[in-house]
Amino acid sequence: MLVAVLATSTAALAADVEAGRRKAEPCAACHGPDGHATVPGTPSLAGQPAFFTHWQLIKYRDGRRKDAQMSPFAANLSDVDMADLAAFYAAQAPRARASTVDPAKVETGRPLADRYHCTSCHTPALIGQQQVPLLAGQDLQYLLRLLHGFRNGTASDLDGTMTMAAKPLTADEVEALAHYLASLTPR
Amino acid sequence: MRRTVAIAISLLLGASTAWLVPASAQAPPPWKQGQPPELANSPLAPVPQPPAPKAPGEIPVDSIKLPPGFKASLWAHGINNARAMTWGDKGTLFVSSRVAGNVYAVLDKGNAREVKTIAKGLNLPNGVAFKNGTLYIAEIHRITKMEGIEDKLDNPPAMTVVYDTLPKDAPHGWKYLAFGPDGKLYFNIGAPCNVCIPPDTHANISRVNADGTGFEYWAFGVRNSVGFDWHPVTKELYFSTHARDWMGEDTPSDRFDHAPKKGLHFGFPYCHQGDIPDPEFGKDRACAEFAPPLIKTGPHVAGNGVMFYTGSMFPPEYKNRAFLAQRGSWNRTQKSGYKVMMVTLRPGDVPKYEVFAEGFLSGDQPWGRPVYTSQMKDGSLLIADDYAGAIYRVTYQK
Repeated sequence: MLVAVLATSTAALAADVEAGRRKAEPCAACHGPDGHATVPGTPSLAGQPAFFTHWQLIKYRDGRRKDAQMSPFAANLSDVDMADLAAFYAAQAPRARASTVDPAKVETGRPLADRYHCTSCHTPALIGQQQVPLLAGQDLQYLLRLLHGFRNGTASDLDGTMTMAAKPLTADEVEALAHYLASLTPR
Repeated sequence: MRRTVAIAISLLLGASTAWLVPASAQAPPPWKQGQPPELANSPLAPVPQPPAPKAPGEIPVDSIKLPPGFKASLWAHGINNARAMTWGDKGTLFVSSRVAGNVYAVLDKGNAREVKTIAKGLNLPNGVAFKNGTLYIAEIHRITKMEGIEDKLDNPPAMTVVYDTLPKDAPHGWKYLAFGPDGKLYFNIGAPCNVCIPPDTHANISRVNADGTGFEYWAFGVRNSVGFDWHPVTKELYFSTHARDWMGEDTPSDRFDHAPKKGLHFGFPYCHQGDIPDPEFGKDRACAEFAPPLIKTGPHVAGNGVMFYTGSMFPPEYKNRAFLAQRGSWNRTQKSGYKVMMVTLRPGDVPKYEVFAEGFLSGDQPWGRPVYTSQMKDGSLLIADDYAGAIYRVTYQK
């Protein structure tokens, strides 16, 4: 199923990847020096589309998305800071996390990405685009937390799409999808 | 039959999903719902919303093309996702947003504007209306107010609930809000789908008293209207409507409608643009049952703001013209909309429907998307652009 992967929008702020690299130094403690996090539960940011990262920082700054560690970091970021950070992370090559996945759950999860239309927004390779995040090879614990959060309506959603998408999932399907996504190698 | 039973059960259980699908398939994201199999490989998808407004140097205001004698300038910028506008009694312009979740106050300092964010983290707060010192804000799930806001812009008062017995569906849940000539607050409750039989609570224009009492549905069969205004002389309601997607490049047309009284049904989902039965839902109904559009505004143009001009700066023929801001298409290969159109009503004749402002496309990509207009005291026209995060001011000089 083809998906609209739009060319880089001319609407993006003229962002500075090198400035973003400097500004990302405080982020490295949790998210890794090039956006490759290692702690289970902390997401990798390398290769995340710029619009996506930028929107999450806005949501942390505005309190729409709450996290005890992220909120203080985002509180003082300007629009330019966010654009630079987002551009820096978007420019880093993504790598699969070393999550331990259950092969049986991976196989159960494999057809679900199409059945639940994840690929419609996240692209067939599940690498994300525009304001939609890269999922392939993301940390298993983080994926589980977010999917459960969308499913029970507690995770912050930009426009309601993810909450609606996750609602019909059973708990077993959340497990299977998360293991499947974590098992992928992002390209 | 099974779908009707399923919907009835979901209403009994209080579920909000109206567009149930057979167990063999799961619901696609809202923008893909209703896509027929033959269009499954379409590359068309909604235009992504930039997370930040454009810097002034990135906004090509000179590209805005207007009729002779009119000129556009950059009036305000840095207003992320700037949408509907409403004036306070003391000259403050309140500006809403959608996915950005903010409400702004814009102060005119003469040679520049100052922008304050007076609310953030809201649930798609597209609707703003002002009366008697109070700002009313419509999110998806509630209408709230801030009293005495103009004197407290740096320390805004708490938002108190006016009315919150509203559906919580995100698709088409964001609202336009305006006070009618009768002093009531009017707003839309959009259909929670691209196309479906909506619950009785959806696909309408509704109204409520400013104190939250007296809620009533006012116009029916309206898929989603996020812009309306009342004629300055007749005081009758005119509104824009977004028609369904995934029925072709050129069908159906979006609409500009006239609702002179309460209780009219404008056709959704049974009949589109007044004369095309819906392939699935229109089989047992006749388009003649429903109120046809006053103007077919064009396929996928995404008409938002409707505003009747009452100023004296523009030439006399502009008096009582309606400006229609069209945010522009996503469900069409060749882009349509991305313009401000104008409507001249002519009793006994069809309305005139002409371009006022265009030039928001750079090649085949938008650099800006005009969504709402507002008239300044001096009769100049403000155009809000929710893509560039800016407001343009259009003036006229002979």
